[in-house]
Amino acid sequence: MVEPAYTVTSDSETTGEEKSTTFPEIAIGIDIGTSQCSVAVWNGSQVELLKNTRNQKIMKSYVTFKDNIPSGGVSSQLSHEDEMFSGAAIFNMKRLIGRVDTDPVVHACKNLPFLVQTLDIGVRPLIAPLVNNMWRSTTPEEVLAIFLVELRAMAEAQLKRRIRNVVLTVPVSFSRFQLTRIERACAMAGLHVLRLMPEPTAVALLYGQQQQQTSHENMGSGSEKIALIFNMGAGYCDVAVTATAGGVSQIKALAGSTIGGEDLLQNMMQHLLPDSQNLFKNHGIKEIKQMGLLRIATQDAIHRLSSQSCTQVDVDLGDGLKICKVVDREVFEQVNRKVFEKCESLIIQCLQDAKLEVEDLDDVIIVGGCSYIPRVKNLVNNICKGKKIYEGMNPLEAAVCGAAVEGAVASGINDPFGNLDLLTIQATPLAIGIRADGNNFVPVIPRDTTMPARKELVFTTVHDNQTEALILVYEGEGKKAEENHLLGYFKIMGIPAAPKGVPEINVCMDIDAANVLRVLAIVLMPGSREPAIPVMEVRMPTVDDDHGWCAQALNRTYGASLDLLTLRKKA
Amino acid sequence: MDVVSLSSSSSLSMSMPFQFHGHNKQRGSNVRFGTVSCRATRQESLYKILSVSPGSATMDEIKRAYRSMALRYHPDVCHDPSMKEESTRMFVQLNAAYETLSNPNLRAQYDHELGLRSKVVMNINVGSDDHERWGSGLHEEVIELKTRSRRRMGHKGGSGSCSWGSTSRMRTQNMKGRHSFS
Repeated sequence: MVEPAYTVTSDSETTGEEKSTTFPEIAIGIDIGTSQCSVAVWNGSQVELLKNTRNQKIMKSYVTFKDNIPSGGVSSQLSHEDEMFSGAAIFNMKRLIGRVDTDPVVHACKNLPFLVQTLDIGVRPLIAPLVNNMWRSTTPEEVLAIFLVELRAMAEAQLKRRIRNVVLTVPVSFSRFQLTRIERACAMAGLHVLRLMPEPTAVALLYGQQQQQTSHENMGSGSEKIALIFNMGAGYCDVAVTATAGGVSQIKALAGSTIGGEDLLQNMMQHLLPDSQNLFKNHGIKEIKQMGLLRIATQDAIHRLSSQSCTQVDVDLGDGLKICKVVDREVFEQVNRKVFEKCESLIIQCLQDAKLEVEDLDDVIIVGGCSYIPRVKNLVNNICKGKKIYEGMNPLEAAVCGAAVEGAVASGINDPFGNLDLLTIQATPLAIGIRADGNNFVPVIPRDTTMPARKELVFTTVHDNQTEALILVYEGEGKKAEENHLLGYFKIMGIPAAPKGVPEINVCMDIDAANVLRVLAIVLMPGSREPAIPVMEVRMPTVDDDHGWCAQALNRTYGASLDLLTLRKKA
Repeated sequence: MDVVSLSSSSSLSMSMPFQFHGHNKQRGSNVRFGTVSCRATRQESLYKILSVSPGSATMDEIKRAYRSMALRYHPDVCHDPSMKEESTRMFVQLNAAYETLSNPNLRAQYDHELGLRSKVVMNINVGSDDHERWGSGLHEEVIELKTRSRRRMGHKGGSGSCSWGSTSRMRTQNMKGRHSFS
């Protein structure tokens, strides 16, 4: 027998292998939250959440580096809650992964007990836990991988089979670069990512399944149902609008931002101890301990405020520093006014993008850890004009259940009762485009474009006899190029000499079935139908961890010499 | 006034990039479309892609048709790796058809254009400096669709490059139409 030829896989970290090659195994669903995580699997007839040895379905997302052997929140039990805040534990990985040290989100993480060191030049921050009085560097990917290994071991022990394929939920606002870092962490943990789903779209899939089951029971025709999904956890807030009928869920619009319970907590800590940021800046052992105590006290107070209107914070931070304050909901809501306003604007934006009015909504779904906060419920309720909140879902389990359903669907599993005859038609959460017209971001694939997608735009040169052009690919919503995430770059060379505005540079973006983004550049000269030079095809992202720095360097080196202009019609 | 004529044969005759002239206030009544390759339209009409009856299909039928076609052609539903690319292409095409037909304005214009398909070339009466994206929107859809069907005729399976020239050219024209307003 002839051996099949060995084929080299692509060098890109986002591997090009077909993400739904048929494995007999059912992929598990994982929801790695900023503060909590869970695993679920389709057990043949329904979704089942997996439990750890301590019988927990929801586990804390952290890894402690005590005694040289890292252990995560899946297997280990902290002797005291403040151990998590001793500096030895890394948490909030999801807020740090794939971000450069100029990112304000990274700067907010400097208030955490472990070390987050920034040089503020656009490189990856240094992250280190305190191990035996030593700061030992690690990376968010590594921490996440350690954690995923524990989750994997837990799932393997329970399901008594090897686990390789996973469906993970991710925030809507994650850039494609951040997604590659999640894939990297999974690869480090020996896991193959079958699909990365924006969290509210996993909830949308679950909703679609529930609607289909209901319509089966009622023998109904299954009319279209439109739902708004609001998801707010510790690290991120996401909104989606989905239209579902007959098991097909179409994501009409997505919106997301890096705001969540962590911001509520930090704003509250700031309120209780106005000088806290300065106090904790140097990360001395004593200060770390104080910070931990304050964090725990504040967290408890916020939890109490979900069920009572007023509570007292009484904590002795040592060193003569005592905090004794009464806080009520009003104070909490005032301190976090901006966070809640942002939530409101995300919902409004999402409805606008979906071209829908509140009256068009059949259901309003609120999920995530922050869904227990009265103000959060209220703000959704107010915008949705008092529409009843959907009750068929557990707010903490909806995303992971959706991921598990997707895991079964994507693994090609059939259900005799038709419970897996489901499809989610995804949309792009962020616009993808290039830098052109000066320093502007010109989207080629707009936000909320149905995927897979292929779109193109024509650009031209800005200088006479310009023979080269720099294509800088960004993802995001900012008007200026640098307000967005840089995904990659390449140069077009050998443009035939011509007056400015004459060469046509067609930039085409293609997102395929495996969510791989390719950017093509085709140079055409007037009067010819054939490309003037070979077409460039570049897979994105091409950037590494230092992309912030890299974007600045590109700008400094090339300035406006290789600029492009969106082609306008000549009058 | 510059007029574009796209023929349905494999070669394109395109003297100038198309432009819109005229009034923008009377959208709907006076807006007409330059173009269009009639044969391709008839063969690959958006209605045909969705398998619904032209003109009479209700919004509900169109949505239903889109969903059932999506269940057949969406690449996520296709578990044969060798068919992935083909199903992706089919789905992208399906989407373009749905985007036009599920939007009452775009659909009305598209119907209008279909009704006048016996005329080879129509003039365009839209202001050149206005922001008549509505009009250009359908243009995009129609031309894009044709581009796709042409691409499919040009090379079967795969994103080969044998007809890049002509397809890029068409897209180029298409884009000019779109961005002249922005």
